[in-house]
Amino acid sequence: MTCHDIKDLTVPYLELDLEPSRVRDVTTHLDGCAACRTEMETVRQVLVRVKGVGVPDPGDRFWNEFPGQIRRELARERPPIPSRLWKGRAGWPMALAASLLLLVGAWSLKGLLDREPAATPLPQRVVAQAPRAQGSQPTASEPDLPQLAEAEWQAFWDEDHEMVLAEMASRLDRKTVDRLFGDI
Amino acid sequence: MAESDYQLLDRYGAGDETAFEELVTRHQKTLYDLAYRMLENHADAADLAQRTFVQAFLHHQAFKRESGFRTWIYQICMNLCRNAIRDRAGRVHEDIHELELAGSQDVFAEVSGAELKDRLGHAIRTLPSRQREALVLRVYHDHAFAEIGTIMSCSEGTAKANYHHAVDRLRRVLVSNEG
Repeated sequence: MTCHDIKDLTVPYLELDLEPSRVRDVTTHLDGCAACRTEMETVRQVLVRVKGVGVPDPGDRFWNEFPGQIRRELARERPPIPSRLWKGRAGWPMALAASLLLLVGAWSLKGLLDREPAATPLPQRVVAQAPRAQGSQPTASEPDLPQLAEAEWQAFWDEDHEMVLAEMASRLDRKTVDRLFGDI
Repeated sequence: MAESDYQLLDRYGAGDETAFEELVTRHQKTLYDLAYRMLENHADAADLAQRTFVQAFLHHQAFKRESGFRTWIYQICMNLCRNAIRDRAGRVHEDIHELELAGSQDVFAEVSGAELKDRLGHAIRTLPSRQREALVLRVYHDHAFAEIGTIMSCSEGTAKANYHHAVDRLRRVLVSNEG
């Protein structure tokens, strides 16, 4: 092994990054070559000095505050997610329920806006005009519309179907909504 | 037994904020050290370490786990360092008074100033970028050359070559100065 070979192997030798047989070859050469020993020692000294270059510690306060700073920066960079619920199993049923409620609300609102101000309120007209099914007595908490016969429904529908729809929507009270969506 | 980075990352993904704290605490000092050795001042190093974590947590779902979490965040950090150094190089023509003013606002200016006077520090700073990366990752962070290759996006052999050239260059600079 020549001095030129040793030059190329100096760093790997010091880094213990050589095959054992190569390490033996280098060691044998160094034993008999003062110039290469000096060169090897110089490189070793350089590595020791490089390793000794430190980084000033910014201190405990900096480290304690560091995770919080990252958290704040993350919150700024990340678009807000309304709720992790939407990512879970409950997401789709909740979305469906919300959509249905919105639909019903819009439907109800449209009916109210379309209703003629001077006309008699539909519930009274319906109750007054529609013949009741036998033995049925509507109460305030029990909508009477479902008790009408098919033909009677049709008559009201033909007369003013938008009013009927509005009436149906207005009767979707809290109890009904709970019954419809209670299982979701 | 401490949880692995992967386990912590899974917990973070599931919404566990304590895992976030643990991951940051576990790696903040080494990331800051890496950034400081590349950028040489506290303000830039702190900012870059912070940005590295932000990027990692923002994009943790894209992490393919083909390497360790530490290697991955080192990659992010090194890429950000390269960009910062490139940006800095583009600003060398700034007014000298402005640079002096910016330096005086750094709370670690004295430490940085002392290091700037150090010949070895100067020699390390003037290393070509890739050589310096290899040197820092090897000497200060004890990475294997294969890992250095992953972080630097090059082969293990290239990482070794860069490291050897860096040491050789430092030797020449130091010996010539000392002589």
